[in-house]
Amino acid sequence: MNTLKKITKIREINSLFFLIALFAIVGMVNPAFLAPTTLFNCFNDSVVFTLLATGIAFVILTGEIDVSIGATLGLSAAISSSLLRDGASWFVAIAAGLLAGVVVGLINGFGVSTLGIPSLIFTLGTNGVVRGMIYVYTGGAWVENLPASFTKLSQVKLFGNLTIFYLVVLLGVIAAHIALTHTRRGRYFIAVGDNAAGATLVGIPAKRTKILAYVLCGVLASVAGIIYSSRIGFITPTAGNGYEMKAIAACVLGGISLSGGLGSLLGASIGAVIMSSVSRILVFLGFSSDYDNTITGILLITIVVIDALTQNRAATKSRHERLAARTGPAHAKKGGAAK
Amino acid sequence: MKHSPLERFKKGVKSWETVLLGLLLAEFVIFGIANPKFLMPRVLLGSVNDIISICIISLFVTFVMITGGIDIQAGSIVGLSSIVIGVTWQDFGLNIWVAAILAMVVAALCGALSGFFVAYCGVQPMVVTLGGSFLYTGIALLVSNISATASYKGISGFPEDFTQIAKFKLFGVIPSQLLIFAALTVIAYFLLHKSKFGRKVFLVGVNPRAAEYSGINSRFVTLLTYVLSGVSASIAGIVLTAYLGTAKSDIGVTFTLPIITAVVLGGTLSTGGKGSVIGTALAALVIGVLRFGLPLSFKVSNQYLDIPVGLLLLIVVVGRSIAANPTLLRKLGIGKAKRQKNKA
Amino acid sequence: MEQSRNSAPGALLSVRGITKAFSLNAVLKGIDLDVGSGDVVALIGGNGAGKSTLMKIIMGIYQPDGGELYVAGEKATLGSPTAALARGIYMVPQEPLLFPNMTVEENIVVGFSEKPAVLHRRLVELMEENGWELDLSRKASSLSIAEQQLVELLRGLLRNARVLILDEPTSALTFDEVESLFKCVESLKSKGIGIIYITHRLAEVFEIATHVAIMRDGVITLSGPVGNFDRDMLVQGLLPPNMETQADKGVNEDVEIDYTGLPPVFELQNYSGYGFSNVDLKVYPGEILGVAGVVGAGRTELATTIFGRDKVLGGKAILDGADITGLSTKKVLCAGINYVPEDRHLNGLFKISDVAANTTSGLLDQKELGSFFLNVKKEAEITKKYVDDFRIKITGQDQLTGSLSGGNQQKIVIGRALSTSPKLVILDEPTRGIDAAARGDVYNIIHQLRNQGVAVMLISSDMEEIVELSDRAVTVFQGRINGEFAKKDINQDNLMAAAFGVTGGKQVQQ
Repeated sequence: MNTLKKITKIREINSLFFLIALFAIVGMVNPAFLAPTTLFNCFNDSVVFTLLATGIAFVILTGEIDVSIGATLGLSAAISSSLLRDGASWFVAIAAGLLAGVVVGLINGFGVSTLGIPSLIFTLGTNGVVRGMIYVYTGGAWVENLPASFTKLSQVKLFGNLTIFYLVVLLGVIAAHIALTHTRRGRYFIAVGDNAAGATLVGIPAKRTKILAYVLCGVLASVAGIIYSSRIGFITPTAGNGYEMKAIAACVLGGISLSGGLGSLLGASIGAVIMSSVSRILVFLGFSSDYDNTITGILLITIVVIDALTQNRAATKSRHERLAARTGPAHAKKGGAAK
Repeated sequence: MKHSPLERFKKGVKSWETVLLGLLLAEFVIFGIANPKFLMPRVLLGSVNDIISICIISLFVTFVMITGGIDIQAGSIVGLSSIVIGVTWQDFGLNIWVAAILAMVVAALCGALSGFFVAYCGVQPMVVTLGGSFLYTGIALLVSNISATASYKGISGFPEDFTQIAKFKLFGVIPSQLLIFAALTVIAYFLLHKSKFGRKVFLVGVNPRAAEYSGINSRFVTLLTYVLSGVSASIAGIVLTAYLGTAKSDIGVTFTLPIITAVVLGGTLSTGGKGSVIGTALAALVIGVLRFGLPLSFKVSNQYLDIPVGLLLLIVVVGRSIAANPTLLRKLGIGKAKRQKNKA
Repeated sequence: MEQSRNSAPGALLSVRGITKAFSLNAVLKGIDLDVGSGDVVALIGGNGAGKSTLMKIIMGIYQPDGGELYVAGEKATLGSPTAALARGIYMVPQEPLLFPNMTVEENIVVGFSEKPAVLHRRLVELMEENGWELDLSRKASSLSIAEQQLVELLRGLLRNARVLILDEPTSALTFDEVESLFKCVESLKSKGIGIIYITHRLAEVFEIATHVAIMRDGVITLSGPVGNFDRDMLVQGLLPPNMETQADKGVNEDVEIDYTGLPPVFELQNYSGYGFSNVDLKVYPGEILGVAGVVGAGRTELATTIFGRDKVLGGKAILDGADITGLSTKKVLCAGINYVPEDRHLNGLFKISDVAANTTSGLLDQKELGSFFLNVKKEAEITKKYVDDFRIKITGQDQLTGSLSGGNQQKIVIGRALSTSPKLVILDEPTRGIDAAARGDVYNIIHQLRNQGVAVMLISSDMEEIVELSDRAVTVFQGRINGEFAKKDINQDNLMAAAFGVTGGKQVQQ
């Protein structure tokens, strides 16, 4: 009983339970949903958001935000796929795409961490510039006719119906999760978001950690862009538009607090699966997928409101307990010279 | 104790609003020289429709940001308002004006709901309005499904006197949108800078705890700012619907980032407590003229326009951050050797 | 102030002739202190005595202007907390700086480069050695203050700290927790760890300390092994010199108030809340009621609860015959109470707003400033009144208050509190952090209020202030009123004794 209680306190486990319960309920209403093909597709289709959410989770855990990842995804997708189309080697194409993510991440990290500019505003600016760069780079045209060897990659499946992309990404997320929770430097990310003043006192390089978070976020957005290209097969200049908001929503669904220091990468990836399964679930429940945004919005608001209320209550309670502890017992007699 | 008019003028020259005004004038001069057609009233004023929604909404999102919040749901409320008008008019047979008022009420409720979660439950404004943007976009789509008309087509055929909102031109040149914007700017200005409510908005943004200790109901004031921004989004929705002649659920989804850009560029502190309606209005115009002038005068493709707007925002915030903390430059110059010093 | 004396033989930490001034204000005027192996040095002193500045110098957060630090006999320059840590000095702050969302173990081992398994073993060994028990996998946010302190202690010990500084460790603990903390301290003592133990509670000195040092006004007035002293000697050490002759000086010339038949304007009946309980109190019109006590005694909580900032747990608050128990701040304000907060920066000032907006912020719900639009003329008028009356130095009403001196800021906050024409004004530490001239002005304002028939509750940790101003005084100790003094009995001796829980030469029973 006690262990059960402890386990439910881990936020990503709550999200996992939620995911399982969700799938189970949908499966009861419509057993076809539980067919391996369908179930696996829920995961396969979440691969891009899993990458984006995991990437932005690094940034959110340190207490910042990045709204430029949708544009970064688009830019990397455009760069890598146009190079592939023009016959460049895979290595060059992928390296160029990843480089774009590194550069955007470095710029964001510099602005937010070194210059101390509020992260939402700074990344809003880079978002505009990066989105514009896609138009400059592609001349506003679609990138099409990607090599078949590249697009087919997204169809390679293992264990029946699980794409190799999702499998690799999942393993990567697990590895990153372990690195983040079990290595000294990994813990820095959460420490910085949890209590920046305390982190500096025990000698953690807060500024450098934030820059690193942005770079990782940028790189993962680039990887997402490359996988996006392979899955979709063509790149429009608006590719990834609005994805940043969905990635943030996935993080919140996965139990990550936007105030930083709370949550995990696994949580983010679970949130991404929930997020991208909503429309499929609706179809299996016999609803129109037009309910997609409404359901996502309700889920998101409900979760954060409950979360905020519990946290506020706990904070008030502990403050009151502390104050009550200071109050001494009644005195036997009143001292001093009464008037 | 007040300063003489001359002193106040001198002080005014240094203010951020003046910089924006200068920027706006510079745009006119540069674009006008590059392409004299730019300055033709008909051309210039005809461009207003592209930016009017952003101008209107950013005026009131300024209130939200002064309290230290943020509103990224306003864009979704534009679409919701538009489709509410269309559906209640066409499918429920409401009078078009009643429909428009209903849309404003719905928008106010949307704002109040998000504002309640922010102010009374202590949820971060960013997350609440992110959820709100999904929710209200979703509801707009569902409302459009009620209609007999397919949602991608949009509802059209509005009565003449409604579309006249956006077609009317004062003296034959000044479009009504500009008049609405001017009127709303005046209203917002008086509300924020001249009323007791506006003063409370500022005080709550500067120090919510001190505001509470002064007997101000910080939470309610915060909630009201979200209602205001919701209502302004519905006004934008009405104007846009009248101009397009079509009610659609997804107009406005791309407005979020430009709105925030206008407010920040207008000098509003993202941490709250400082900002001005005039600044936001000027910034919205600077962005609008830039987006209109670059293609017209310099043949810059429309699609590239995110770059100059984004750059403008980055230059402003970086410049301000360096101006506010001059040691930053020195620190950057010396580099990492002095890292230790930051800790003290 | 260069001192040539060296470290005491065998001392873990020796402080020699440390001086420190902030601008022109000398906070430390040559401090000597030794901590030997197994010593528990109790450091006692009132607010502003310089304790925290001294600790910050030892922790490397501030640099001293003069004097030396010796760690284990070697001269040391501590430029940062990291450097102090490397020399084996660790401070457990009053409010522990933990990572709330990390586990206990993560909190302790964060920043180490050794293998987690090695650290875990060392940590477990350390806890076994001391006989401490704590679930290492718990989240820090679920810990009580006592447990958080334990985590901080472990943090220090795992870093091989030889000198631990405990800053008022018992101020937020329950009595059981205090007991277990003392056990920890005892076991550390036996391990040869040196401890600097900062406290407000004299009883603890005799229970736990081996040595005692009393600080007042930046000097150590008394120090030595605990056995050399008794309680009364410690109380004397806390008082300014020549108290006997000064005790009756500085009393204001106003006539004593005749309380017979005078109805109170404000009354608390068995009033309880978070941080205080069963308070009975009357405040009469035209009197200054001094409320003395040490920091954390519950005075601020009492005031803010009256002002509608926290929940009332029991009892009644009556203003002028009307029950105002549990009303919102806005209503309490309208009823006729105003409050000048203790922490001006956190709860008082709007720093990036101008003088006028700051002065009139309490009037925004009243018709005086207009019904919808702000009456700017009226606002300027009211502001001018307070600026002139209180001699507030500003360049204009549009100056931002963040750029004013502490004294002028405080006068503005007081002006705001008076602008609502209250019947009762609660002033919480009204002269903290302001210069002598401004202090005099604030005292004049308080006298004026009294003469206008306003009731004033003056909360202050500065006993001199209470003595100088009060018509009547009460002392608060551990959330309860433990003493009441008529004007003739108000002197620093009585107040200090009661504030530290010592009455009539005896410790108030705990």
